[in-house]
Amino acid sequence: MDEIFGAPGELLASTIRFATPLVLAALGGMFSERSGVVNIGLEGLMLISAFAGVVGASLSGNAFVGLGFALVAGLVFALIHALMCVTFEADQIISGTAINLLALGGTGFLMVVIFGSGGTSPRVEGFEELPIPLLSDIPVVGPALFSQSLLVYLMYLLVPITFFALFRTPFGLRLRATGEVPEAVDTAGVSVTRMRYYGVAMSGLLASLGGVYLSMGLLSAFTENMTNGRGFIALAALIFGRWNPIGAAGAALLFGFAQAVTIQAPQDLIPQEFLQMLPYVLTIVVLAGFGGRAIAPAAIGKPYRKE
Amino acid sequence: MAEGRTGEGKTGATREAPVVLEMRGCTKTFGPVRANDDVSITLRRGEILGLLGENGAGKSTLMKILYGLYSPDSGSVFVDGEEAKIHDPKDAVARGIGMVHQHFTLIPPLTVAENIVLGAEPRKGATLNLARAVKDTEELSDHYGLRVDPRTRVADLSVGEQQRVEILKALYRDARILILDEPTAVLTPQETEDLFSVLQELVADGLSIILITHKLGELIGVADRITIIRDGKVVETVDASGTNEGELARLMVGRDVLLRVEKGASQVGGPRLAAENLIVRSGTGSKAVNGVSLEVRAGEILGVAGVDGNGQTELAEALAGVRPAEEGKVSLDGEDVTKLGANARQERGLAYVPEDRGTKGLVQDFTLYENNALKTYDEPPYSKWGWIFPRAMRRRAVEALRAYDVRPPDPDARAGSLSGGNQQKAILARELSGDPGVVIAAQPTRGVDVGAIEFIHRRLLEQRAQGKAILLISLELEEVRSLSDRIVVLYAGRIVGEVGPDATDEELGLLMAGREVEQTA
Amino acid sequence: MNAGGALVFPLFAILISFLIGAVIVLATGNNPLAAYEALLRGAVGSPTAIGRTLLGATPLIFTGLAVAVAFRAGLFNIGGEGQLYIGAITAAWLGVSLGFLGPLGIVLVLLACVLTGFLWGAIPGFLKARFGAHEVITTIMLNYIGINLATYLALKPLRTEGLIPGTDTIDIAARIPFIGLGLGRANYGFFIALLAAVVAYLLLWRTRRGFQIRAVGLSPGAANYAGMGIGVNTVLALAIGGAFAAVGGGVEVLGVYGKMTVPFVTNLGFNGIGVALLGRNHPAGVILGALLFGGLASGAQEMQFATDVPLQLANVLLAVILLLVTATKLVELLLGKRARAFAGARLEKGLGR
Repeated sequence: MDEIFGAPGELLASTIRFATPLVLAALGGMFSERSGVVNIGLEGLMLISAFAGVVGASLSGNAFVGLGFALVAGLVFALIHALMCVTFEADQIISGTAINLLALGGTGFLMVVIFGSGGTSPRVEGFEELPIPLLSDIPVVGPALFSQSLLVYLMYLLVPITFFALFRTPFGLRLRATGEVPEAVDTAGVSVTRMRYYGVAMSGLLASLGGVYLSMGLLSAFTENMTNGRGFIALAALIFGRWNPIGAAGAALLFGFAQAVTIQAPQDLIPQEFLQMLPYVLTIVVLAGFGGRAIAPAAIGKPYRKE
Repeated sequence: MAEGRTGEGKTGATREAPVVLEMRGCTKTFGPVRANDDVSITLRRGEILGLLGENGAGKSTLMKILYGLYSPDSGSVFVDGEEAKIHDPKDAVARGIGMVHQHFTLIPPLTVAENIVLGAEPRKGATLNLARAVKDTEELSDHYGLRVDPRTRVADLSVGEQQRVEILKALYRDARILILDEPTAVLTPQETEDLFSVLQELVADGLSIILITHKLGELIGVADRITIIRDGKVVETVDASGTNEGELARLMVGRDVLLRVEKGASQVGGPRLAAENLIVRSGTGSKAVNGVSLEVRAGEILGVAGVDGNGQTELAEALAGVRPAEEGKVSLDGEDVTKLGANARQERGLAYVPEDRGTKGLVQDFTLYENNALKTYDEPPYSKWGWIFPRAMRRRAVEALRAYDVRPPDPDARAGSLSGGNQQKAILARELSGDPGVVIAAQPTRGVDVGAIEFIHRRLLEQRAQGKAILLISLELEEVRSLSDRIVVLYAGRIVGEVGPDATDEELGLLMAGREVEQTA
Repeated sequence: MNAGGALVFPLFAILISFLIGAVIVLATGNNPLAAYEALLRGAVGSPTAIGRTLLGATPLIFTGLAVAVAFRAGLFNIGGEGQLYIGAITAAWLGVSLGFLGPLGIVLVLLACVLTGFLWGAIPGFLKARFGAHEVITTIMLNYIGINLATYLALKPLRTEGLIPGTDTIDIAARIPFIGLGLGRANYGFFIALLAAVVAYLLLWRTRRGFQIRAVGLSPGAANYAGMGIGVNTVLALAIGGAFAAVGGGVEVLGVYGKMTVPFVTNLGFNGIGVALLGRNHPAGVILGALLFGGLASGAQEMQFATDVPLQLANVLLAVILLLVTATKLVELLLGKRARAFAGARLEKGLGR
């Protein structure tokens, strides 16, 4: 077994590392889609935040300033998406695709403007591994789970928090209702527009955490198109997890595991391209399996108009 | 506004009760259409005010203004004598106004309690207090006899139960004025009775209710006063106890009786369309049609009467070949066509006017000539070797549109740009110009103007005179009675009886309520 | 819908996008007028520039048609990216083995692309028709499956020795020839793209199948009542779309690169969505949209040369155009309801069922 998967501890650690950005972005996507706004733009939200984080850290020499930059960038891009979809009633899928292209083109443009050339940015201060005393001493599991960067621990916390927010608070009830029957929310005196802005904004903030982890957790620099489809894998995790925080996190872990195996398994055993297809294939299988039944929020993708 | 004429109200006390709501001079236009034109109404405490009018008369628009869903062009609303600016439903709720929409605004995957508290959730700290929500719901439902389990998902409730949830939603928000928009349209007679007794309890408790409907019969028993709206204007307000159905009908439609077309004699021949023990499932999987057998003969119109949702749609679809029959047999001119699709049946001379012209009968964004060829685009002269010839379609369409008086008779006009009546005429032009042997007409005059109704009725009778077999499915009893040679009544997917066109209201009413009676025909 | 009205949304989006672009150029310390002048020159100012524009527009016409045909059936084809890769790898593979046939090889290879693209495109159609799986999600997922599949084939079974990883080079006799006339590397693939647009037009407006596809797209209910199969048309529309995108990939390989390298072209599929929407999903509009996109990319090179503005500005402009092209309410707010009505029906296609 070991020659295929490597040491179990290392495999677990690398699964967590690969899964973290996916979990964060998938949780973000969940807020948006539960409010009824499709978010195909997760990829772009992650990318622009990964870039903004590096810019912030490079300007200040401080990783937390970078994090602040990233959160603002993710929020601004998410709000552009919300402005288009909710206020201007643009098509949500088109807007999401445009957000992706805007992030890709924008980061390419700004790389030249800010760092003088495309490709890879200078190295910056990132989020170092921060072993948690005692917990990280547990054999095998300890170093894998509790000797990670701060953003990973944040991810551990955000999964239950998201679940709680969605299913145990008035905000969550309203958000879920908005994604199902916006008319009902409106007649109950709650603003559909506001709920959708909240949902999309949350997606920007959470996806930006995922983006920052890529450029300042896994690496300490930005490279062009470094998300490389991770936003779409997060979207896949969201669907695979049936729009549920626990499910989405589980799916993201599974996909992270597949990536970890890709890196560790000998190349000639399973071609890495096939392992990389796995999240996408599984998502299609799930969609085909559940497709007939409505598993997506019912009002997803439709602008809400009063008159 | 014509004030209610003198006369003792059903509950005399309400005549002296204070006015809780007044709408004064409300006007609302949509483009060129005046949906409400200087409408004024008053509502007193503890009364049920009926708001009566035909479909499209402007009742729903008025209530949407009251509930803050539309803003009026002019006019004002007074609640408890004080002018109320109602910009959105929140303002309406704050003023104690609750509304039960015709199309429920419930969230199927959420529970009854979650639906009820949405927007006014009981909290425990920052969290949602679901236990409290369940308890509050239970208390309310016990108090008013609106039985429903707070923990059930709304998706699992019957239509009648869902309506109770809607009423509870309003009561939970302390509504003192309750608006019900066409509440009985979706209910069985028994459920309607239950609803009305709940309403009586609510007014006894001091609430005031506006009941919107186009069914005049049911208002007389339950309302105190009735305001009649026609073409966006208030025609009159009458006391329910001092009026009768005839008067209400006259006020509502502005003519003494529903038009009766002259029905000549016709030569009845052998059966052309027949169904045997047909079982058809609905989209949700239930047996919508459960063992129907019928026969339509040449030269006759067979009417199908019944309350909406008793299998009419599925029956028509199965006969036309749009929906598969699970069991049983359909035959056209003696040939078994059960296994054939819509196309093959149409080629064998079956015409089908579907009940929903907007989404089933026409492609709204196609031109009229494309719509006219919607079923024959693959036959000569419109098509050869896989190609189609738009010019040929256009030429034929010009003739058909003229023959059926479609206005404007412009083959390049978008179907969606036409009025309802003209859309329906365009469908008839397509369906009847191919000289079919059998015609299935489902709700052929729903929501069309009087002129078009007459035109459509005459065309159907013309087909009858030519020896065609016609199946007429309609919710309008008057229409079924005036056109049909025989009438069958559909209830819960079964034919519960057959009567002649001279059957009384009572006879038909009993059948429509599902009480099987001795066959009289 | 009138032709003038059809232009309202596209022109509006382009105008706003260029205004935003001007602000960005100003922010980089350059003169917007000088930048746009260089952009225009780089797009159409010389035969070489025009050639570059045509070269850039060619694949976008194909991917734009892939979106437009599916859209006419009421379907969102986000899978152009993967479909193009499938066509490219088909062409790279067969092009080498059929190279000895010369020009006949080109025809055979492109027909093979039609076939593989058709089958690949049929997958999301089948998944939708049979299982109700939404095509937006499945086509997105199939993008990455297609890209990984093509990459695997190019890197493993079909890999050849060389500095750049990729497939063997196709015999020059079996490659699409350059147009010449000083147009640089522009090749006859552009005319194949124009032909494809004509085919798409005839298919949609002059055949039974097209009539059905359009009816299903505009009103599934009415089409079903008229006896048309929704499922069959769903599968066919996406499959035909896939075939167009795949031929686009084939033309890139046969006309531009002569082989498939890793990495290969990116974002042609996604930009095809913008092209189709700018062109209001009409083949003639798709050609215009693709020329605009190709021209922007081509002009940006000149702009970067003449000013300090990075050529990536073109990608930003394209993204902003796509962002705005469906923003109906924005048009209404800025230009009034009459402009909105003049512009015709809104574009609306959600994820809901």
